[in-house]
Amino acid sequence: MDTIAAIWDTIFTNPWLHGLFFGIVIATVALTLVAWSIWFERKLAGRMQNRVGPVFVGPAGLLQPLADALKLMRKDFVVPREADKALFILSPVLLMFFALASLAVIPFGPDTVIADLDLGVLWVLAFAGLMLFPLWMAGWTSNNKYALFAGMRAVAQGISYEVPMLLMALVPVIYAGSFNLQDIVRYQADHSWFIVWPPGPGIVAFVIFFIASLAEGNRIPFDIPEAESELIAGVSVEYAGMSYGLFPFTEYLHSMIASAMASVLFLGGWSGPVFPGIHWMLLKTAILFTVILWMRWTLVRFRSDQLMRACWRWLVPISVVVVCAAAVLRYFLLAGGAP
Amino acid sequence: MTPELKAAIAALLAPSTDEGKEPLTAEDVVAFGMWVPASLHVALAELLKAHGFTLYVTVVASHWPGEKPSRRNPDPPPEHFQVATVLRNPTRGASTTFSWRVRLEPGQPLDTLFALFAGADWQEREQYDLVGVHFAGHPDLRRLMMPDDWEGHPLRRDYAIDTPHFPWR
Amino acid sequence: MPGKVPNALSGVELPDPHMDIEDYDPDADLMVLNMGPQHPSTHGVFRVKLIMDGEVIVKAVSYPGYLHRGVEKLMEKLTYAQITPIVDKNDYVSPMINEQAVNMAFEAALEVEVPRRARWIRTILAEMQRVASHLVALGTFTLDVGGAIGGGASIFMYTFRDRELILDLFEELTGCRFHYNTHTVGGQRHDIPAGWAGRAIEALKLIDQRLDEFFELVIANPIFQDRSDGVGILPRHLALGLGLGGPIGRASGVDLDLRRDAPYHCYDEIEVKVPTRTTGDCTARFMVRYEETRESLRIALAMLEGVPEGPICSRKAVNSAASVKIKDGEVYVGVESPRGELGTYLIAGGQGGQGPYRLKIRPPSLHAISVIPYLLPGNNISDAIAILGSLDPIMGEVDR
Repeated sequence: MDTIAAIWDTIFTNPWLHGLFFGIVIATVALTLVAWSIWFERKLAGRMQNRVGPVFVGPAGLLQPLADALKLMRKDFVVPREADKALFILSPVLLMFFALASLAVIPFGPDTVIADLDLGVLWVLAFAGLMLFPLWMAGWTSNNKYALFAGMRAVAQGISYEVPMLLMALVPVIYAGSFNLQDIVRYQADHSWFIVWPPGPGIVAFVIFFIASLAEGNRIPFDIPEAESELIAGVSVEYAGMSYGLFPFTEYLHSMIASAMASVLFLGGWSGPVFPGIHWMLLKTAILFTVILWMRWTLVRFRSDQLMRACWRWLVPISVVVVCAAAVLRYFLLAGGAP
Repeated sequence: MTPELKAAIAALLAPSTDEGKEPLTAEDVVAFGMWVPASLHVALAELLKAHGFTLYVTVVASHWPGEKPSRRNPDPPPEHFQVATVLRNPTRGASTTFSWRVRLEPGQPLDTLFALFAGADWQEREQYDLVGVHFAGHPDLRRLMMPDDWEGHPLRRDYAIDTPHFPWR
Repeated sequence: MPGKVPNALSGVELPDPHMDIEDYDPDADLMVLNMGPQHPSTHGVFRVKLIMDGEVIVKAVSYPGYLHRGVEKLMEKLTYAQITPIVDKNDYVSPMINEQAVNMAFEAALEVEVPRRARWIRTILAEMQRVASHLVALGTFTLDVGGAIGGGASIFMYTFRDRELILDLFEELTGCRFHYNTHTVGGQRHDIPAGWAGRAIEALKLIDQRLDEFFELVIANPIFQDRSDGVGILPRHLALGLGLGGPIGRASGVDLDLRRDAPYHCYDEIEVKVPTRTTGDCTARFMVRYEETRESLRIALAMLEGVPEGPICSRKAVNSAASVKIKDGEVYVGVESPRGELGTYLIAGGQGGQGPYRLKIRPPSLHAISVIPYLLPGNNISDAIAILGSLDPIMGEVDR
């Protein structure tokens, strides 16, 4: 018992071991959750469409993600002759790497965070932005016009929607006075969730942040880069096997991270009315993730120029106004106003 | 078809009546199947379009191969083509079609109706592709249904249905 | 642009479909993108070669013919009784109307009367088939605009679920869900079973109700409206010149419906309200189909109430391939299919009278596809897909 307690202590105090241990645990749990979110989405979509979804593999189709993963791993990995082979193979790997890296700072519980960085918000947003690189690389190195179109559209959409996303992520930072995600959650645990108080900017910021994350993650209604009816599979049209599988997998992972960030920044993270802890975080993330899936199976997609217009004409001006309003309200309404 | 239209059609076609036959009168004009010489094809279409037959329906080309005289058919017609054109009058409540036929010798082209009706573009291409009738003045007369390098015109009567054509057969 | 919004009746600048691409801007970096025969959204095997300047299409060249099965050549070898099941496979989404078109041509050439009960049944079947076909068109358009994995797919599933109700009724009547072979020269082969009319009325009322839900989900959705308003405006004079009379023509201001203007079956005994629009864009085509579906439901419901008694065929039942003999004759018959005027030009007298000499099918979808070189240039790919979806082409009919 003592040795276990001693090991536990070392893990917690030594930052390297802390990061390694929690990294492995959180990454494994996150990837497993993402894999089973495929099952969840297909069941949800099935029920929304008056059918049942997967039922054959395992009880109630629960082993379907396993079957999908095994199938994808068994497929031939085909590299087009004229493709840039190294970058072609590197793109999905890099995509997964950036997605997983952004998990590092998200506080799942009062003590459960891989790296409690003072620049947490910037870290997540930086990696969300970096994910555009491998997408564009995949589009370019595939040597396929459809993939090229998709890659260009993904980059255009990504860099446009980063602006409202960054601006709206500033609102909790202004309220809490820190970029550290754990501090933001503690502030909300001690006071009240930012979506509720101060009134006004919180909820608008939440909605805009949510919409912008949808656009960053190429989810419907913003999935022009992978619009199947036009561009077949978008960026991943030349990929086969598990290298193809990494693209939708990362898309789900990004959606989960976006839901987690939205709940951390605006909905109070692991805090709740009673018994704060990791279960609240998981519950909020799950609810937002379900909303993302629900929107996917209900809405039709925007055209690329309408998408851009929505961003630059509407979301960016509103974001600027909201940030200013947030600063003003913080001065007057929140504790520690005047310096 | 109004009486004015019938009279106008009769006036257009009368000068070209064959020797020894009665000239065409307005009562002889029927809405289906009149024989029209190839030189008056476009003129008739223009006249009809001006009188309200503005919807282009279709063009149908058929091939009659020259047959040998037989006991059942002692005097068969020589090889010829027939091109039938159908137009429609999109009047509300009383829409009718008008169709006429043109007889063509093998190799004789027929003037295109593309200048009057945009639909003639593809319809005439299809008939050229399948039956082999040439349409003079067509901007882009090439095959529509069959692959571009196909030889022969499948809907001709002397084209066997299983004619081999590498690499499709 | 201030002033008038372009629509089907005002002048819309049309590109020249035969423009030589060399004459386009020599400095532009043109790219050829093949929307090849394998594509999720070309509604069947159909190839369009798009020549693009960036994301904007400069010229579109279409290559139909991938589904050409030589149906017209085959018919020169088949007897009249054998043609009906073949012709089912042309417009495979509305086979009832295909069969009716062809059999009406045979009846016109033979000059036989079709009994009133058969004509009544034919009208009901045609209207029900029109509803089923429009449900496919509405669902697949939303699929094209919204995503095969995504919102479009949900709505597509709903319309197909509703269409299953009609297909179940057809299965009860003829034995097949598709490709019925239920029409014959002189009338019908299958009579309405007992209770069918009641079940049909229930099913159609249910579909009518569910169309309200469809309206709220799709038509009132601002994203959908953004995607299809003002996209692909087809001017009226081009619609007339190309021979487009169905929903596409009616959306562009061609007020023509063969059921009302050149009646056949029992359409002269009922009133057919024909929806038209003058905007000529994708929304107009979509709305015309939607309103036609409602109208067809109303007509079918009214006619199912009072089916007259009597024989269903004026000739003896066809029980051998050579039952029908037409010595000679030449006719053209046009019926209103869900896509436009479906015509049959018959030259009888082949095979000693047992089969046609030449049977030409006038496919409305071929005329619909021929607008592509006119409408696509100037748009980007998303709009091109929306336009192609709104034209609702059926390749089986285009290529035969």
